[in-house]
Amino acid sequence: MASGGPGSIHAPAPTAAPLVTAFGVTLLLAGLVTSAIVSVVGVVAFVVGAVGWFREVLPREHEEEVALEPAAAIAPSPHAVQRLAAGTARHRARLPVEVYPYSAGIKGGIAGGIAMAALAVVHGLLAHRSPWYTINLLAAAGSSAMTNAPEAALSQFDAQALLLAFAIHAVLSVLVGLLYGALLPMFPWHPAFWGGLVAPLMWTGLIAAALDVVNPALNARIEWGWFVATQIAFGLVAGLVVARSSRIATFQHAPLAVRSGIETQDDR
Amino acid sequence: MHRDADRPSVLAILHDWVVTVDHKRLGLMYIASGLVFFLVAGSEAAIMRIQLALPNNHFVSPQVFNRMMTLHGTTMVFFVGMPILLGFANYLVPLMVGARDMAFPRLNAFSFWMSLFGACLLYFSFLGAEGLYGGGTAPDVGWFAYAPLTARAFSRGNSTDYWTLSLLVSGIGSIGTAVNLLATTLCLRCPGMTLGKMPLFVWLNFVVACMILIVISPLTAAQIMLTLDRFLGAHFFDTQAGGSAVLWQHFFWIFGHPEVYVLILPGFAFASEIIPVFSRKVIFGYPFMVAASVSIGFISLGVWAHHMFTVGMTPAGNTFFAVSTMIVGVPTGIKVFNWLATIWGGKIRFATPMLFCIGFLFQFLCAGLTGIMLSVAPFDWQLSDSYFVVAHFHYVLIGGLLFTIFGAIYYWFPKATGRRLDETLGRWHFWLFVVGFNLTFAPLHFAGMIGMPRRIYTYQPGRGFELWNQLASAGVVFQAAAIVFFLWNVVRSLVRGAPAGADPWDAWTLEWSTSSPPPPYNFETLPVVRSRRPLWDLKHPDDPDWRYE
Ligand code: HEM
Ligand SMILES: [Cu+2]
Repeated sequence: MASGGPGSIHAPAPTAAPLVTAFGVTLLLAGLVTSAIVSVVGVVAFVVGAVGWFREVLPREHEEEVALEPAAAIAPSPHAVQRLAAGTARHRARLPVEVYPYSAGIKGGIAGGIAMAALAVVHGLLAHRSPWYTINLLAAAGSSAMTNAPEAALSQFDAQALLLAFAIHAVLSVLVGLLYGALLPMFPWHPAFWGGLVAPLMWTGLIAAALDVVNPALNARIEWGWFVATQIAFGLVAGLVVARSSRIATFQHAPLAVRSGIETQDDR
Repeated sequence: MHRDADRPSVLAILHDWVVTVDHKRLGLMYIASGLVFFLVAGSEAAIMRIQLALPNNHFVSPQVFNRMMTLHGTTMVFFVGMPILLGFANYLVPLMVGARDMAFPRLNAFSFWMSLFGACLLYFSFLGAEGLYGGGTAPDVGWFAYAPLTARAFSRGNSTDYWTLSLLVSGIGSIGTAVNLLATTLCLRCPGMTLGKMPLFVWLNFVVACMILIVISPLTAAQIMLTLDRFLGAHFFDTQAGGSAVLWQHFFWIFGHPEVYVLILPGFAFASEIIPVFSRKVIFGYPFMVAASVSIGFISLGVWAHHMFTVGMTPAGNTFFAVSTMIVGVPTGIKVFNWLATIWGGKIRFATPMLFCIGFLFQFLCAGLTGIMLSVAPFDWQLSDSYFVVAHFHYVLIGGLLFTIFGAIYYWFPKATGRRLDETLGRWHFWLFVVGFNLTFAPLHFAGMIGMPRRIYTYQPGRGFELWNQLASAGVVFQAAAIVFFLWNVVRSLVRGAPAGADPWDAWTLEWSTSSPPPPYNFETLPVVRSRRPLWDLKHPDDPDWRYE
């Protein structure tokens, strides 16, 4: 599309050819369900449209001149730029400006996991006079033997179940801890509120909805009061450990060379 | 285009529109035709909801109910969703990449007319299929048209053929527009606009255009095979002669599932433009947004059989499709988090476009959660073809698509018409629609869970379905009221809306740098771009973006 003379611009000329062609195709097909005559009309329209279309673009594209209109002017904005939590360099901050290191998340997960396990064992002792009870229930998520075990067997020590429960607990704790590390800097207010209370309550709701499928044995015997307590213990401890570790600034204020790990020389 | 001083006659104006090849006018015609069919398909939905409000109701006959259901589904997907989205793409992509028009203006006109004629063909079935040319009126086989319902033995007359041909015709149109969008995005970007500086809107529509090219082909193939079955006695889907009904399902859903994303990704595109402007912050994680969009496009091509868990695939098949479906949740989750992060800490303006986008975030979250539930094959065994599914996909399509479309209309209306929509009426529209929509579809989750099957025209009393259905039907009243406010707002604002000026929202993409409505040639001189927010750079010469990108 070339520019026209001064005061005008060339644009493709309007044409009915595409409309006629489309009408032809539609009638051609509609003939299948109505009558052959419709198809014949369709073919005629299609040919007329197609010839018209070719003549619009061959040998030279058919264009018309459009007169220029006064253009909109873009004024400088009256609004000043606000910086979110100014960094070292002049840059618009992307949130979060600071994060916790991954290691804090892992540590938090381990600490939270220990707190949770301790509370669970205490619960086993108090309510069922056996420290193994809760452990065996957890193991039932991965062991059909445990899922179908009678009440009495759940209070007995079982090495395999202990190992299984430990693995499940350890992996989940570390993963959730990592999630905490990543999410906590994104939340306003004190981490204890979100990490200790809201998050455990939310995932307890989720577990309540899904436990039936994931761990039927646990679902049948669960005591929700204790369950919520252990979750909150995890959340509080993990959250505190994470929140107490020192934050590190993200790289966003650093120049590109530093961010991409290229060595540059200081001009000092 | 005639811009004479003396007033042109109505006929001359009409003629101007009919022969136009200007991408903006075609875009507006797409959107207008989509809105007209939205009213039609909405009325069909209302008829279904009236019929289902009471047990053993006789408002319509079973046949009429099936016709309403088929036309509602087909129309909403093909003649409301697609045209409105392609219309916005048509209007905005050339403006956003700083071009004078689409790459092939005449193909563009052809594509529009094909999709409009396709829609007309579907509704022509009311006249043509019975009376004049044999039994059956409008199609009644559902928008999915499962075999063997479509076999001659079960579908006499030509109603099914109208459905097939209508999709064939409009499918050609969609492919034309997709090719055009790809060519425009790849070849007509203004100087400086590298792929990495394109607005997310353009990126998402690029992905959509690729998907249209890929998925309309299996649909077209299936329609042609069905036509052969019905006219020439082929037996592709004829189960009694060794054909396969499951083959139809595979063909249909390999199109049908990605189609849902063809409808949803443009919704994401609207949100990605509106949310940053009204939060007054750069979109969070642009490269991740692009990567997530592209991967949603890819992954969604491999999940179609989650619509077929109950046909009895192998366990390996079920597992594959369950897992791949859950995986789509990941990039989608990334996008939702990025929108939230964009809003967070921003200076938010709660204008109507933003309200609709926030509504979208919330509703779409609900849809995503029930979607993940359904992707668990055993769960789907319980709830497949129940009203739970109806509730789920309406949360996707209305929460994800319609909400963002409304947001987009409020946002770009000033650009297209030079006048703003009224904010007060907009708020009425929004709140009535939120209430009505949730009142309609949230109860249907429960109806489905206690066993109400979908695609039934009535039910017996005493099963516990009454309450949920009455709530749902009551919701439609609110939705209809919302739409009345919306239409009133559009009509009123066209006549005496507040003048908008070129840039009413203080936005950053190129379409706001030209006047409202833009002149036929878009830009007098082609813009030169140095960052993802070219207008920001012009408005803040002291602190432009390109310093940081
Ligand atoms: C605005 C309010 C709407 C209401 C009240 C409504 C209502 C309904 C009802 C009652 C059904 C029949 C369910 C069944 O019997 O299985 C249905 C089906 C359907 N709806 Fe909607 N709907 C609405 C909007 C939409 C929108 C916006 C879309 C898509 C963009 C849509 C797409 C569909 C589809 C694809 C079906 C399936 C049809 C079939 O099974 O053949 N609906 N809707
Ligand atoms: Cu799907």
